[in-house]
Formats: sequence, structure tokens, C-alpha cells
Amino acid sequence: MSTTKAGAPVLTAGIDVGSSAVKAVVLASGEGGEKILSHAAVRIRKREISVVIDQAFETAVEMAGANELHYVASTGEGEDIPYATGHFYGMTTHARGALFLEPRARSVLDVGALHARAVAMNGRGRVLNYKMTSQCASGSGQFLANIARYLGVSQEDIGPLSAQSAAPEMVSSVCAVLAETDVINMVSRGISTPDILRGIHDSMAGRFVRLLRSLDVEGVAFFSGGLAGDVGLQAAIRDALSSEFLGKTAPVELVSHPLSVFAGALGAALWGAFRYRKLDLGGAAWTSKATA
Amino acid sequence: MRVCDDLDFGIAREWLAENPGRKACGYLPVYAPKEVILASGLLPVGIHGGGDRLEIIRGDAFYQSYICHLPRSVIELAQTGRLDFLSALLFPSTCDVIRNLSGMWKVMYPDVVVRYLDLPQVTGTETGGLFWEGEMRGLLRDLGAVSGRPAGEDDIRQAIRLCNSLRSMVRELYRVRRERPWAVPTEELYSLLRAAEVVPVETFLDKARAYLAAAEEQPGARKDKSRVIVAGAFCEQPPLGLIKTIERAGCYIVDDDFLLGNRFLMSDVPTDGDPVRQLTNALLHDTVRSPVLFEASQDGKRRLMKERVEAARADGIIFAAASFCDPALLDRPMLRAGAEADAIPCIAFQFSENTGQFQQFREQAGTFADSIKLWGDNE
Repeated sequence: MSTTKAGAPVLTAGIDVGSSAVKAVVLASGEGGEKILSHAAVRIRKREISVVIDQAFETAVEMAGANELHYVASTGEGEDIPYATGHFYGMTTHARGALFLEPRARSVLDVGALHARAVAMNGRGRVLNYKMTSQCASGSGQFLANIARYLGVSQEDIGPLSAQSAAPEMVSSVCAVLAETDVINMVSRGISTPDILRGIHDSMAGRFVRLLRSLDVEGVAFFSGGLAGDVGLQAAIRDALSSEFLGKTAPVELVSHPLSVFAGALGAALWGAFRYRKLDLGGAAWTSKATA
Repeated sequence: MRVCDDLDFGIAREWLAENPGRKACGYLPVYAPKEVILASGLLPVGIHGGGDRLEIIRGDAFYQSYICHLPRSVIELAQTGRLDFLSALLFPSTCDVIRNLSGMWKVMYPDVVVRYLDLPQVTGTETGGLFWEGEMRGLLRDLGAVSGRPAGEDDIRQAIRLCNSLRSMVRELYRVRRERPWAVPTEELYSLLRAAEVVPVETFLDKARAYLAAAEEQPGARKDKSRVIVAGAFCEQPPLGLIKTIERAGCYIVDDDFLLGNRFLMSDVPTDGDPVRQLTNALLHDTVRSPVLFEASQDGKRRLMKERVEAARADGIIFAAASFCDPALLDRPMLRAGAEADAIPCIAFQFSENTGQFQQFREQAGTFADSIKLWGDNE
């Protein structure tokens, strides 16, 4: 546990700069353990990234009622945040955040707007191995968002609609361009939207399960990143895992959490508290303008 | 355009235009005695390749696929007329590729005075010393013929004084970066020192003083980063993007081998006595340990990285060598084995001067920095 030299809880913030949204978490670490004080996510939407980062950070800090922070940790694409105390690599923070949200987790499946990666870790959150999708869009949230736009479906409705599917229509699992062509053909053939969406989810799920399988992971896999809340994708991955791992003695259980999208920011805040204690920094790394 | 990015060597060309009758002498990595060039009245110009801003068309025709990138881009620079302002060019004995390049230059550019500099690999005064002294006197004669102004002893002493100032400034820049790497990011330091290779020494000294004053005045915020040494990039230079990537990924570079020739002689060269002999003694007894000079001690290379880590107070080492760089890649196993025997965290990768994709380096440097910060003494 972390406390300041005066015995007060250590307050840290984690800022996860993704491709489509910035997530921020404020955390208190004290004798009683770690407690999430606040979290905020702001979509980038073609705005200046520094403005979005400041907005997410300030919102989380304000919600937490914090006047000062002992360590501000960045992750993702946040290397250049001027008020960050330190930066941690994305895999490191997602592993730590996953372990906090699901202590049984020994692997992470992180699916964001432009990438997907599987991470194997030990019981202390140390990354043991990882695999990422190559530079291909078919395993990413942006691909799913594009398809939803073609179909006239809001992103929030993708999961529930997919769950209604009775006869999923398979799409190309190799290439986003081919998959998009498939979808256009399906629409013209009168395939229902739920069946199209579930077909896309199944296609993506196949890629993600192959990523996890390549690491030989067992037990609980934590689902993090922007797509972790998509119930249709969750179901598709669980189905793929149960069939892919059929016959294995230790099947993989996919676990998500309402705060899955904040796993990176949370992990950064947790590692920030660790570094604060290890470096014996003392004092605040960031103070609100009102207090200063 | 920044001076360090100018593949047309605009500053050197301006200097020649402003000084009618004067000439320029280029030199390749790693070490060439700049004092001899200056004493002969020539402008020294470092030729460190085309980096990532030059498309190689002709250069590839001269080399097999298993040869590094530097000679290709040097050939490309020459074949596109960018080196036509040089009246002489020095090729130090860095490796066989540089040696062969000197031969090619003699064939292709007969009007340019070409000298291959065989650095002494033994440090005895009567052997390596005698040899190197003879080499430098021969070089003084040849370059004197180029400039039409053969150097006297006072000219050489004056050049030594100027180069002592240069070396002193480089040492100071490295010291400040070692002490406060957040005030002197390597991205900036490297750009400054790369520019120093193509401008008159006096110009560099003025700029460097101004830079140090600015770094003192606006030092930037200190971050929680791992302190690393980047070793192995002493000849072909990494693209600036790679240096930026390492720093952005969570590392402070606190020592490196970039542009090693500018600090090859580690301290000031005395200006009393015979100046050529003083330069000779400096090369024999006061040089930085590098793969281009013979290491006499049996376990010298195995000890070297620990000594460098302690001197720089570094947390780990990134071995970054150019692809197909024989001197760096042949030394790496010995250097790394020594470092790992002393439990110093290490990673290694290879680059090319025209590398344009940095994601893999970002991953490696980022996870390396994290492993040092989070698990360094924890497991």
C-alpha cells in the first residue's frame, strides 16, 4: 500500500491516450488498499489531442475532488503530456489494470480503435509475452465503427443487435476491405442487420482467439479496451474460445468489467503509486491551478 | 532547413564562396585528425551519409545487399553532385567497406585528393607511434598541396587549440546531459553535434554556448524515466526519429556513441613541443575505447560496459548497431556478455540510417524502460 510520508493516501492519476478516446482515472492508495476515486473518458473526434487530454484529466480530477496529485502517469499515445510524471507502455498498464479489476486474470485481450493485442502476465501483473495484430484494420474498433455507419447503426446498438442474430452470415476474416465488400453484398441480398453484425463479430473473434492461443494462455483472460463493453463481441469471443479450446484441459474464460475501457488508465495510476513509493518522491507532482 | 538536415552542405558552400581560394576537406567516420585539416587551411566537413532524407538509386548499384547503408548514401551524395565542393576526402580505417570506398573514390573522382587513414592498432611509441606520426606528416604534406598553404608548427598548434575548445565543449554538453538529461534531450544534442560536423568550429562553439545558456534558463520538466546508454552507433548514424522514439518511450539517453569522432581524443592535446608528436601521443594513449581500435586487455571489452554504466549512472544499455556493421556487431556479444554478467539490463536491435518505421523500437524501448522502473530490483 502507498501512503505519503505524512501517512495520507497517495493520489495518482492515469491518462490513457487512445486512437479514438482519452481515458483518465484518479486513484487513492492508502493503508486500506487502492480505491478508484473517479474516471472520465472523452472521445477525440478530430479535435486537437492536447485539448482532449486536458479535458479528460481535468474532468477526472474535478470528480475526485483532488487538489494535488503525487504522480501523473501517462500511457498509450500520451508520451508528450507535459504535466505527466512518467510514462508506461500500454501493455504494462493494461496488465496491471486487468489484474486490479480481475485478480484471477493471467492474460489480457485489449481491443482498441486501431489495434488488438493479447498479453500474457504473471500474478503480479508482469508482462510475460504478447502478440499484436499487424497493421490491418479488420481486428479493430474502427473497422466495426465503419461497418456500423454503413448499416446506419449507432455504436451503442451494435452489441444488443448482434445478440439478436439467429443465422450469422460469415464475412472475410482476413481483410477489412474484403469484409466491407461482403457487407455491401449482404445488404443487397437482404441479410438482416443482426446477422451481419454477428458475422462480423465472429470474424473478429476468430482473430482475437488466435492471438490468445498463440501465447498458450490458460485460465482467465481479461477483456480490456474500447470494445470490451460490446456484449455481441463478448459472446462471439466466448463461443470461439469454447470451440477453439475444445478438448484442452484448461479452457480460457473471458471476463469483462464495467471499467474495462479504463484498464490502461487505471494500470498507469497504479504503477504511478508504485513508482511514487519506490522513488520516495515526497510532495505533489501536480497541483491544481486553484490551489497553486 | 536545419543545418543538420542539409544534404547540399549549404553552410560549407557559403563558406567557400565567402573565402575565395579556400578549399574544403571531407572525412568519413569514425576518427580523422581534424587538426591536420584545419592547420592546412581547409574547412573540415563530416560526411555521415544521407540519413533518411535521401533516396538511394545509384548507390545500391555499387554494393551487395549484405553491406551497410552508409556507403550507399555517400556514393549517392557524390553521384548527385552534392559532394562536388570537396577538394579532398579522408577515409579512416573503420572497416573494410570504408577502405573499399576510398579505392572507389580514387577511381571515380581522380581530381579529389583521397587518403585512407590506417589508424595504429598498437600503442608502442616506436611502432604505432612512429607509423601514425609518419601518416600525419604525409597527410600534412598532401593537404598542404591541396590548399597551397603547407602547415607550419604554429598552424598546427593553433588548430590543436581550436579543437581542444571543440572537445571541451562536447565534453561539457555530455556532462550536462548526464547530470540533467531533461534539460539537454539527446534529440537536441545530436542535432547540434551533427550540425557541428558541417560548420566552421568557431560557429559551432558560439551556437553551443547559446544552447547551454538556454538549457540552463529553461531546463524543462524532470520526468520519471530510465537512464540508458545507447551503444554501437559510432559509424552509420541512426535517424533522428529513432533517437526521439527511444526518449519518448520512457528513456533518458545519458551516454552514447553517436558521432564518436568528435570526442575520440578524450582530453585536451598539449600544445607545447612537437605538435604532430603530441597528436600522435593523444591517439596512442588518450582515446575513447571503441570497436575501431584494438583492445589489448583480454577482458577489456567485457568490463567496458560496466565502467560506462557506472560513469553515466545508467540503469541499462540499448545496443543499437547499424545493420551489417561489422565492427559493432562483432563487438556486441562480448560487450553484452560482460554487461549481463554484471546484471545490467540490456536490449539490442539493429537500424539503418534510412529506417522510417519506429513502432518496433518504440515497443522494445518502452517495455525495456518499464521493466527497469517496475521490476529492476523487484524480482
